[in-house]
Amino acid sequence: MDQALFISKRENLSYFTPDFTRIYFGQEFCERLMPGAKDLAEVLAFADEQGVGFSLVTPYVTNKGLDALEKLLPMLAERRPDAEVVCNDWGVLHLLRSDYPVLVPVLGRLLNKNKRGPRIMNIIDKVPPETRDYFVGTNLDVPAAAGFLKKRGVYRVEFDNLLQGLDLDKADPEIHKSLYLPFAFVSTTRFCLTANCDSAEGADYVGIMPCGRECKEYTFGMANPVMGMPLIRKGNTLFFINETIPEVVNKGGVDRVVIQPEIPI
Amino acid sequence: MKILSPLDSLEEVAPLAAAGAGEFFCGVLEEEWYGKYPVISINRRPAGKGHFRRFADLKAAADAAHDKGIPVYYTVNEHYYIEAQYPLIKKYIDGALEAAVDALIVSDFGLIAWLEENGYDIPLHISTGGTVFNRRSALFYKELGIQNITFPRHLDIDELQDLTAGMPDIETTAFILNSRCINVDGYCTFQHGLAGKEIFPMFRNACMLPFEVQIMTSGNPAQQMSAPGHSLMLDRQKVWEKVHVDDHPCGACALYEFREMGIGSVKVVGRGNPTERKAGDVAFLKELIDMLENEQPDRAAFRAHARKRYQETYDRSCRMHMCYYPRVMTDE
Repeated sequence: MDQALFISKRENLSYFTPDFTRIYFGQEFCERLMPGAKDLAEVLAFADEQGVGFSLVTPYVTNKGLDALEKLLPMLAERRPDAEVVCNDWGVLHLLRSDYPVLVPVLGRLLNKNKRGPRIMNIIDKVPPETRDYFVGTNLDVPAAAGFLKKRGVYRVEFDNLLQGLDLDKADPEIHKSLYLPFAFVSTTRFCLTANCDSAEGADYVGIMPCGRECKEYTFGMANPVMGMPLIRKGNTLFFINETIPEVVNKGGVDRVVIQPEIPI
Repeated sequence: MKILSPLDSLEEVAPLAAAGAGEFFCGVLEEEWYGKYPVISINRRPAGKGHFRRFADLKAAADAAHDKGIPVYYTVNEHYYIEAQYPLIKKYIDGALEAAVDALIVSDFGLIAWLEENGYDIPLHISTGGTVFNRRSALFYKELGIQNITFPRHLDIDELQDLTAGMPDIETTAFILNSRCINVDGYCTFQHGLAGKEIFPMFRNACMLPFEVQIMTSGNPAQQMSAPGHSLMLDRQKVWEKVHVDDHPCGACALYEFREMGIGSVKVVGRGNPTERKAGDVAFLKELIDMLENEQPDRAAFRAHARKRYQETYDRSCRMHMCYYPRVMTDE
């Protein structure tokens, strides 16, 4: 079992232990939080020193974010041509395929659309079996879907640790699967409510606004009885925590566990 | 610039066409699907209003729309489908093709691939679930043969201008009225619910639920911050409860820029809304688009007229949190 450490800031290399065989570094949810070239170079150097694999994690991006990413990829392709790039945007996958074919694309968890809302746990034992199969299933059991990815060089897909469980028995065996622990994302927004949250100005503004990286300071817990568990809003994204090691790990359904010691924002 | 209107029944074709609809989108939900998947839709709208119930009804509506020269687009746009669903999905697509719909609105890459593998020859439109935030994504879909892209709600006017200026040759649709989702549709994994206070919380859209909010110093819920003076932050977190309540969110002021950008159509959300509301929404936009195209007002004059007509039509003022493209409220 491959064990990867996922960090979104360089300082968190302090979480690295010899148990890890790979480092994930980057950002899935906000293009403003993408690492700069200097941080990327330092983390790459660390990965080289430790002799472990490297995966650059990329977010969904506007044109501006795409331009920023294009400044990082040449260095990555030169320094670590065996590196993976976790794509959470079809445009980033397109960019890799056309301009950086040496890098290894991975389908990120944002493009893996499993339902994650914790309310599912209220009904999972009451719904028809077909619905249950849907909630624990994946479109990687559709040959056309798996073929679509493989045709584009994608042989690894990232999964969250679903509360309702994950059944990968029918998923294409040629596609490797990673499981993220313990933070699972539920939803994300560009109308970030953490942006400027400690300022009265724009308190009623719900849109895309400049920010002072307030996400680095504040985290919000959000509770509603039907959710069954608290949600965590960090920056522009909602998460839940699921620390239970699922059966799919022991059954060999995943071959990589991605550990997030902190919420990856 | 056309108006893409929701359509739920044959009876709606005439009044919505008269109001100015230039395109229709719709879906079908039969008992067989509902029996197996009561809380999962085939088309992003769960059980309830807003669906044709029989393909024969869809065909009658499509025929009536075509008689008026209006194309009908059919939604099969859930974010993913598993293999076990495909026999039903095939039935839903074959039924729609027999009804002579003009395009499928899709989102799941697996379905796009399946349609190609199985030789379906029908135009495909990418739902907002396709998350086209940048020029490369547009190119990705263009190379898949997609004819139309519906942009995410989460692009501001400047970003849309930048994006459309560098896009491949592909038709585009932007949201304009109703259901201003706080989350990015294509990256939202809550099971899709319904709007309305009468809906039991279990099945209401998750983003509409009232949450008790706490401030934490880290991701650890045990480390809650209790210092005074944080009411501002708490209030801010609860703004989203006000956003997705369908209190007539509107982006009509942005029609001015959309026309300049060459956006092909603007989408009125509202499958399941009463016919009168749908027709009112379409008529509101139609008058504004006609003004743009016939009178060519300057931006300030258009904005002023759009706001006046919004207030007259919906009996409420423009509000920042209900503005689809809020930069239009701050750029003058």
